[in-house]
Amino acid sequence: MKPPVFDYFRPASVDEALALLAEHGADAKALAGGQSLVPAMNFRLAQPAALVDLNGLDELAGIGDGPAALRLGAMTRHCAVERSAVVAKRAPLLTETMPYVAHPQIRNRGTVGGSLAHADPAAELPAVMVASSARFLLRSRSGERWIDAERFFTGLFATALEPGELVTAVEVPTLAPRTGWAFEEMSRRHGDYALVGVACLVTLDAAGRCAAARIALLSVGEGPVLAPSATAALAGVQPTADALRAAAEAVNADIDPPSDIHASAAFRRRLATVLTRRALTRAVERIATSAS
Amino acid sequence: MIVQGEYTFPGTREAIWELLLDPAVIARTMPGTEEMVRVAPDRYEGRMRVGVGAITAAEFTVSVQLADVVPPERYTMQIDGRGRFGFTRGTAQVRLAADGAGTVMRFEADLQVGGKIAAVGQRLLDSVSKLMTRQGLESLSKEVNRRLASADPGSRSPNPGSLP
Repeated sequence: MKPPVFDYFRPASVDEALALLAEHGADAKALAGGQSLVPAMNFRLAQPAALVDLNGLDELAGIGDGPAALRLGAMTRHCAVERSAVVAKRAPLLTETMPYVAHPQIRNRGTVGGSLAHADPAAELPAVMVASSARFLLRSRSGERWIDAERFFTGLFATALEPGELVTAVEVPTLAPRTGWAFEEMSRRHGDYALVGVACLVTLDAAGRCAAARIALLSVGEGPVLAPSATAALAGVQPTADALRAAAEAVNADIDPPSDIHASAAFRRRLATVLTRRALTRAVERIATSAS
Repeated sequence: MIVQGEYTFPGTREAIWELLLDPAVIARTMPGTEEMVRVAPDRYEGRMRVGVGAITAAEFTVSVQLADVVPPERYTMQIDGRGRFGFTRGTAQVRLAADGAGTVMRFEADLQVGGKIAAVGQRLLDSVSKLMTRQGLESLSKEVNRRLASADPGSRSPNPGSLP
């Protein structure tokens, strides 16, 4: 359980990190919290020739409260997000999700940007970012660009990151008025990879009809999966128990879950329906509570 | 692990049959194949490198033994792959049926995956196999279209191939 030999760089600035990544190309990996990469290296399933350690880059860590969005530096640890009062106020869906991300020990080291760049189909943060309509700031030596979370995740452990490019920040838009949120997940044991998870936001109009909804699931496809059919089923309707159940059933058209020894594809479909219904129900209840 | 599906190609059964058994085509279209050689009329050997995300080091030597070969209708492959990170072995059946001007390929593979790669990556095997199957079929379909276009430069195939 020791990694193969590799070169180790600890740059003092983001610019230096980007230069190192550009110089070493596909042989180099950026090291964030190391909670997925280092185990893979110890199993010798990943054998990067060089690691560019981002842990010294304080400029990449931190939580900022802007007028329209919450901003998270890519090297912000999961535990910092979990305990942040600003996050709890501005992006409560994220706060509700954090305890589901692995175990406390992993959340102490793991980072927001690392989880997003790794793009594990069973990871919580990618789905929450997609549900939240978040956008990511990507930087390379040749410049920077913003990309919507929805377009960032392109497949199984695959993202829109170009070689030499880093996720440096995340912006989560402020919730619209009369918006409820919920995260639901099922795993064999708490902290295990989720069998299925779902993150949702629901916005009601003044008449109590569903004005907007975002539903994203994890562990049901190659990456985070948006549920347009379920969202369409909610458009303009009163969020009665029957309407939410119908929307949750519609999720089946949006997902293609895998089978493994823990759960068959059929079981995951059933779970996705049940968890979506629970999440939508709680999200709508929250709007009712906050309005009263 | 069962991998099954069907795919409709443009072109006759004979043309698709020839493509499916051409080692050069296999090497170009099977994701991760670095080398594929037909060492006997009914046997192939090669090397594959399979990776997702940060995991890029899983190299396998692969042999495929053909059985029950009935051109241009069906064949069975006995697959044996070994690498430092594990093994895969099993059988795959391929059947071709004429469908108008096109050909429907139906395949069903029953594969065992073992060793470290299965122990660590168990939860991903299904997703990876789905992904590789889709990529393989898409590049096969491109290959078919390229051949049809070069054989008959005046017309392009109306059917680019489709997953059900």
